[in-house]
Amino acid sequence: MPRLSSRPRAVLWGQYALGGGVALLAAAFVLYPVYFLLQAAFDVGDPDVRPPSAYGWDNFAALPDYSKILFNTLGVAFAATIMALVFGFLTAWILNRTDVPYRRTLEQAMAVPYYVTPLLGAFAWSLLGSPESGFINQIWRGLGGSDALIDITSPFGIAWVMALFEGAVAFVMIGAVMKSMDPSLEEASQVIGGGRWRTMLRITLPLVAPGVLGAAIYVFAEMLGSFSAALVLGTPARFYVLTTAIYQLVSQYPPRMSLAAAMGVSLFAVMFAMMYFYRRLMARGSYVTVSGKAFRPRVMQVGRLRWVLFGICVSYVVLAVVLPILTLFYASVQKLAVAFPRLSDLTFEHYREAMSMNAVRSAMGNSLLLGVSAATIGVLVTFLLAWIIHRSKMPGRGVLEYVVMFPQAVPRLVFAFGMMWAWLVFPLPIYGTLWLLLIAYVTVFLPLGVRTISGVMVQLDKSLDECGQVCGASWAYRMRTITMPLLRPGLLAAWLLLFIASVRELGASILLMGPQSKVLTPSIVEAWFASGSELTAAMALIQTAVIGLAMAVFTILTRRASQHKG
Amino acid sequence: MAEIGNKPPNTSSRRAALRAGMAMVSLPLLNIAARAQSARPVTKVLDFQTTADVLKAEAEGEVVFYTHDGDGAAAAVVDAFNNDFPKIKANYVRAQNGALYSKLLAERSAGRFNVDVIQFSEIGTAIDFQKRGGYERHVSPEIGAFPTKYLSPTPGDYFWMGVTFGGIAYNTNLVKPEDAPKTWKDLLDPRWRNAMSTKQATSGMQFVEWYELRRLYGPDYWKQFAKQRPRGFDSRVPMFDRLSKGDDKVCAIAEYAGYLLYHQKGAPVAFVTPDDGLPATPVVAGAVSRAPHPEASLLFIDWMMSTRGQALYQNNLQLAYNSFRTDAPPMPDGKRLSDFKLLIPTDMADYLASHDIFNKEWNAMMGL
Amino acid sequence: MTDLPETPVIEVKDLRISYGSVATVGPVSFTVRAGQQLTLLGPSGCGKTTTLRAIAGLEQPSAGLIRIAGQTMYSSDQGINIPAEQRGLSMVFQSYAIWPHMTVFENVAYGLRVRRKSASEIREKVHAALDLVQMGGYAERSASQLSGGQQQRVALARACAFSPTVVLFDEPLSNLDAKLRGDMRIELRELQHRLGVTSVYVTHDLEEALAMSDQVIVMRGGHIEQTGKPGEIYNLPRTEFVADFVGSANLIRGKLRADLGGDGMIALQTESGEIVYGMEYGRAPGPEAVFSVRTVHLQVSATRPPGERNVWPVTIRRVVFLGDLTQLHVIWGGRELVVRRSALDGVAEGQQAFLTVDPRHCVLLE
Repeated sequence: MPRLSSRPRAVLWGQYALGGGVALLAAAFVLYPVYFLLQAAFDVGDPDVRPPSAYGWDNFAALPDYSKILFNTLGVAFAATIMALVFGFLTAWILNRTDVPYRRTLEQAMAVPYYVTPLLGAFAWSLLGSPESGFINQIWRGLGGSDALIDITSPFGIAWVMALFEGAVAFVMIGAVMKSMDPSLEEASQVIGGGRWRTMLRITLPLVAPGVLGAAIYVFAEMLGSFSAALVLGTPARFYVLTTAIYQLVSQYPPRMSLAAAMGVSLFAVMFAMMYFYRRLMARGSYVTVSGKAFRPRVMQVGRLRWVLFGICVSYVVLAVVLPILTLFYASVQKLAVAFPRLSDLTFEHYREAMSMNAVRSAMGNSLLLGVSAATIGVLVTFLLAWIIHRSKMPGRGVLEYVVMFPQAVPRLVFAFGMMWAWLVFPLPIYGTLWLLLIAYVTVFLPLGVRTISGVMVQLDKSLDECGQVCGASWAYRMRTITMPLLRPGLLAAWLLLFIASVRELGASILLMGPQSKVLTPSIVEAWFASGSELTAAMALIQTAVIGLAMAVFTILTRRASQHKG
Repeated sequence: MAEIGNKPPNTSSRRAALRAGMAMVSLPLLNIAARAQSARPVTKVLDFQTTADVLKAEAEGEVVFYTHDGDGAAAAVVDAFNNDFPKIKANYVRAQNGALYSKLLAERSAGRFNVDVIQFSEIGTAIDFQKRGGYERHVSPEIGAFPTKYLSPTPGDYFWMGVTFGGIAYNTNLVKPEDAPKTWKDLLDPRWRNAMSTKQATSGMQFVEWYELRRLYGPDYWKQFAKQRPRGFDSRVPMFDRLSKGDDKVCAIAEYAGYLLYHQKGAPVAFVTPDDGLPATPVVAGAVSRAPHPEASLLFIDWMMSTRGQALYQNNLQLAYNSFRTDAPPMPDGKRLSDFKLLIPTDMADYLASHDIFNKEWNAMMGL
Repeated sequence: MTDLPETPVIEVKDLRISYGSVATVGPVSFTVRAGQQLTLLGPSGCGKTTTLRAIAGLEQPSAGLIRIAGQTMYSSDQGINIPAEQRGLSMVFQSYAIWPHMTVFENVAYGLRVRRKSASEIREKVHAALDLVQMGGYAERSASQLSGGQQQRVALARACAFSPTVVLFDEPLSNLDAKLRGDMRIELRELQHRLGVTSVYVTHDLEEALAMSDQVIVMRGGHIEQTGKPGEIYNLPRTEFVADFVGSANLIRGKLRADLGGDGMIALQTESGEIVYGMEYGRAPGPEAVFSVRTVHLQVSATRPPGERNVWPVTIRRVVFLGDLTQLHVIWGGRELVVRRSALDGVAEGQQAFLTVDPRHCVLLE
């Protein structure tokens, strides 16, 4: 007999209250800093007076004076995007469409550069490719060459480092496009008589083109907001992009907040537009597939080219992971790093000094603590948000999705600038503490979490939950017994992603760090600018080793925990 | 023109110049002793005197030190303090002078008071901070060891912790001694284009150099200098790092202390003392008002002013700041301040007023 | 098993369901008596699943009334909308919705656990339910290892475990192959009788609907085309759609010849002049009318059969062998008719033959 309920709507209110509360909180965290950013950008009155005494466009009018910086930003982002796309397309093709050996291993290896922070890569490549002291150039001169073979501090060099480390996402996105193409579309061409090349040119390429274009837009937007490479390689060489310029302007005395904010808003506007185009392009419906299933694409025999192509893929991992780590190690054990040291110049003193520095230990501890906290809270929050957006009927969930994805369109540094401004005046004393960093991480990684969890949530058959409903289970009971257990692998994967992202974060942390809240990546940057490169290399390696160990442990744990029982 | 190693002949004139340079502010001739704090007993701890209540300081348990110095130098300071007072945990935050001040003011304007003691790398910043009431007036028992001209106008706000000065340095592998720049004007030679390093606009030392050379040679000097397209850095360590490895040929603001450090490591660098003088800046320290750990901050200041603290700053190669204490021994390499011709700004009003011009010019030169 | 109370267990009145501003279903009204199976039959997109889900509480109607076992589950007038988890119904989903992370036992026990039954009662009922569907030995198996047919049975067991009075079926057999479907149909029917449940069944499969139901509702475009017993729906379709959807039919249009016929029999004259006699079955013909003639009711013979009202010469255009049936396409008065017989009565393609049909099988449509 059905249970009588005189207040049937009460059930929904409980859900709505929790969901609505989380949604409002998330929206506040995202929009509060943006509001302050905009406020600072339009502030033309006395910069010390808050709230602003006058509003106007003057700050933006000053921007053309910095046209060189704008030009640099666009140029470097463009070059890096092209490089990333070429390499991403090539490796995605090789690993998905050819019969190169060890494809599975290679594909997993391609993810490793993501764990090596672009910052480390920038350092290592600086040691390798500085025009005078770079190891590669020293070797080149030793072999009889003149001048420098490569100059990593040139715009092209900076773009190269950006593409190498931040371009891994191009590989993942293009690979996903290739995996989602129905092979029967190509088979239809071949059956009628189209040869391999004709099929590739007339069928395959046009079908993947929109997906590749989407990846291009996304990667370009990310490159616009890139910070690490330009900071390490560009600043000393007087080469500024918008992000490093903002950082410099904010750090001076007197700080030029309004100008920095205007630059930030401009960058934000461009990125926002790109993201908008990206979503429009993707929402128009892929040309390639309907069901979202992954197909196994048809594989091309490549014969003798096999090992060449294998080498290409391996070379990416070498250039992005092996070479940098070896270089850093090589530099860290020398008194003064050169390519051909004397044996008497080898020493472990830098490691001793690094280990004794409180900054190293406390930064590591803080980063681990923050990483675990941000990942845990982040997963819970993004799970609820993903649920509201995809599985509830709450009004306004479309707007919520938009708001949650917002931080993606803002470069981290610019967002942190807004946060700094915003939380300075907040009555709670969290400024300069780990709490502020925690809030910053959770907010900035909302898009990452929501995207990952949404991916697994939409694949979950609705009827599994509905059946529970019909069986009489309340929302909370169903969540506990049906939804969460089934989503567990996805949730754990999201946890790991958020942990790694927190630990390698630079742009936001560098502005929001306080004396008691030093974290990993910005402290390595500080060391770079304030200490010798050998000491920095030692610090960086110590920290990487510890974090790498933590990551490995968590990866094993999450993998084991994500296997269903039975 | 002289390379280091030759004894500069005219000591007395240098001393005069030094004294003239040091007398930048009108100093009231107060009887320091008579200004003893009411009801604060003086105790002896370790080998110095303090009016801080050491027990209370230990109960506070912490002291926060903001400084412009590099990580290595700052760490040396807090480590030494920690060694002397194990119960009080000293922490530092470092940033280049301008960035440090920026951060400090932003925090204070939002009502956050996290700092106990602050050290700036140029006097203008300290004066500005004093105007804003940022310092806690504390007349240390150790203050008697400092001539009044090395203290704040009203003694007790801040004091000259030490002084650092800079000249020109070059890489001996890439530059032959006969080609090396000997005077500041030599730096304008086109052969040094794209091969020089300086500091960023946030550096206090750089502001002093800019002001002094502008005073000596006119504003045109720096306009010409800009054509050299120098590279800018945050601290002296990476500058000497690059110089040693040959990434730069010449350093246009080579701090003597940095030179000593790298010379000792065996790096191929040489130091040049231009005849016209070496721009110098005092590093200025003081207790901050509304400090979170008031007793510990007073103890820290007294410690810094004491023979121990001053010895640390002189002898530690990361710091290597000449002390102003009347009873200070010579620097480890035997030199005294009086051995150098130092250029220090005397007209404070003009100096402070020109900061904005400096910022604009220097940033533009640096590509910003 | 006949049930005693005449009051309906399920009542749906003037139900309307819309998606946004598009009216998808409605208004529909029907009732289901205790122990009976009502089937909602129709092509995809006709709104049958939406209606079923509205009864379950998984869709929100925009207007109307739903009462189950005397309690109002939804009423737009009174502002009542009891959520799905409190309606006490049971449902078998098209995709079975078996939870892969639980064992078979846990799947079936879910509804009992929600109702806080004791451990011994749960064990008893679960095993009873599993035995009912012949899955008794699978209790400890992981649900992710079951085949389609096995999942279907477990879904059934789960639906019955807590002895519901009403069970809803959303195309439960559509994912099975034809042979299994046939067997399961019978089993399902027997199960329902044994348990005495009232059910609403949704399908697009004609055979299922006719074989299992006590009442059939044919739906199209969100509206009810016809309600009735299976036999009625089949033999006496009311509209062209029903005629064509429920079994295969030929539709013969013509002008009414009021001068011919009588006693319930009427005659239509087609465009090409043939006179067709049929029955009006209580429906009022207009000046133009349509007969529905089932393909299996038409007969073709080589010689003219004597004593028939409806006899016409035809040419056999094509013969198609379908196994149990043979399908003939014949040209009749300038148009084509389809005939289905179980055997070829000595006719071949291209041949001339005679077509006859009993007037009782020519049904006047409304």
